[in-house]
Amino acid sequence: MKLTIAYFYPQELNLYGDTGNVEILAARTKTRQMDVEIRKVSVQDKISKEFMKEINLLFMGGGPDSGQERMYLDLIEQKGPYIKEYIEEGGTALFICGSYQLMGEYYRSADGKKLEGLGIYNMYTQHFGHEKKRCVGNIVSKVNNSILQDPLFINVNNVGDTIVGFENHGGRTYPADDVEPFATVIKGHGNNSEDGTEGVYYKNTVGSYFHGPLLSKNPHIADYLIAKALNLEKLSNLDDTIIKTAHSALVKRFGQ
Amino acid sequence: MYVISILLTKIVYRIINILNLGAGYTWPGHLVLKIYPGIISEIKNKLPDKVVFVSGTNGKTTTVKLIKHILEKKDMKVMTNSSGANLLNGIVSSVLLASDLGGNFSYEAAVFEVDESTLPPLLKDIRPSILALLNLSRDQLDRHWETDIVLDKWEEAVANLGEDTVLVLDETQDKFEVISRSYKGTISYFNDDRKFLYSTDLKGSFNAKNVNCAILTAEKLGVRKDEAARSLKDFEFAYGRGEMVREFDKNWQILLAKNPESMNQNLNMLLEEGIDQELVLFVLSDNIPDGLDVSWIYDVRPELITKVCKNKEVFVSGKRALDMAVRLRYTGVDVSGQNISENLKNTIEKISDMDSIKNVTVLPNYSSMLEVRNILVGRKIL
Repeated sequence: MKLTIAYFYPQELNLYGDTGNVEILAARTKTRQMDVEIRKVSVQDKISKEFMKEINLLFMGGGPDSGQERMYLDLIEQKGPYIKEYIEEGGTALFICGSYQLMGEYYRSADGKKLEGLGIYNMYTQHFGHEKKRCVGNIVSKVNNSILQDPLFINVNNVGDTIVGFENHGGRTYPADDVEPFATVIKGHGNNSEDGTEGVYYKNTVGSYFHGPLLSKNPHIADYLIAKALNLEKLSNLDDTIIKTAHSALVKRFGQ
Repeated sequence: MYVISILLTKIVYRIINILNLGAGYTWPGHLVLKIYPGIISEIKNKLPDKVVFVSGTNGKTTTVKLIKHILEKKDMKVMTNSSGANLLNGIVSSVLLASDLGGNFSYEAAVFEVDESTLPPLLKDIRPSILALLNLSRDQLDRHWETDIVLDKWEEAVANLGEDTVLVLDETQDKFEVISRSYKGTISYFNDDRKFLYSTDLKGSFNAKNVNCAILTAEKLGVRKDEAARSLKDFEFAYGRGEMVREFDKNWQILLAKNPESMNQNLNMLLEEGIDQELVLFVLSDNIPDGLDVSWIYDVRPELITKVCKNKEVFVSGKRALDMAVRLRYTGVDVSGQNISENLKNTIEKISDMDSIKNVTVLPNYSSMLEVRNILVGRKIL
């Protein structure tokens, strides 16, 4: 049993500690005596259908504007179609912040420029410039019901129905009505600070604004992704005492 | 108006100190700027010929202290701002506090550490004789946002600087290329060569850069390099930046680690030097001067944490102690439950009671560093 993680654009999208998500996925898998391989995919690397068949978890983070400028065309023109097919066929993936935005229909910047996304998630993102404040702060949310009711999630969930992290985004994301959010905001901004949604849950993928990184204080989400990726019904228990204590303390401090 | 501003600054400073409300280096300037925004251009005219600005993510405080040390050894009267006062209000406060009531400023040189985001607006009003730029890396993203944004603003500010300023730059920072390209005046470069570092008690390649930057800056102000290096023999660490404190029968070395780069550099230095500390204490808080986001601890190189903590007693403390404990756990370092406490005072008391421990390494972020010093030394600042 081997978890093969494709880590897209690690140099370009490397802000806010999101790289920790890959470290955490690897650590939680290795502790369970399973193999892990991390394949970094950068702008200059070519990928193929075979490559996408060999991986079982795809991760992409968020980055500074310069980083996003460097990977944007490569994503749209080269790698995008492979990622789209991977997701539509049920591949497991996690997208954070900047890369999450790029999975939508488009991103409109403060000066009105429209950047096409991959159109996998039915949503768009708008940056309102100085009109609306940047969404920054600690965030607590409740995982969406269809995840909570998923037997797989119930099997791996050792934490509860909350997630906790930090968000820092200028763009506001508006998912279409029929799109399932990843979570419902308890305290914080989430997608757009208006409709109470946070992130998107689509097929076997999660898109989210959570930094922290997301998986650091939310081991149930980490294990959910690992179990999905490896096609397992459950995972052996890890000693998560300290992580659960941290999770509850943060939910208590920032969730009210 | 200038004399009134000085008077006001001195009175507010006195009141803050009598009431023990803080160091008093920021509020007076804040008030003066509110009442009289023109104060900056007045200050400009009062400053001496030798004005140095030092900015960058890491190393400002140490570098300013090094420059001051070298110049004072040449019998120059040097004014600096204290490191907690590197925003506009702090800079205004320190100049006015250093002036006499007749409006006279009697220092021969003024060396300021300037916050990265304060630098561009400040450069519009005051053109220093030397602008030393140390580095730029991820720090307090919820305040500075991305380094790219800071770099863009620096580039613009430097391009509008005229040609009278000498730019002193770290040549190992690839990011600074855009700055070199947009500046029309003189640029001098320093690197991490360790020749001069060995004439000080400082350690680590980041300190080699700080020392080289200071010596190069002093050279531009007329001090010979070898002479400057010699004068650093008795240089003492800036507070919380490698500083050694002897207390409770133990040696505590305080190494400010407030962002991924400074944590990496300090861990690297500990590994290079061979650590004889038996105990490592991480202190992580999310007070306003730290920024609210602690996710940066995952941008620290995990293998450095693992190596430094190997066979050591490890403690974590501060408001985000649990976050740090989780982070350490993912590098393979398990901190036992009894070594985790958000209460720093309790943690330090507990460590003090451990007879077997003689040497402690403390890696605190910014507000935690002030708190550690407050507990060990008794005062928050110097």
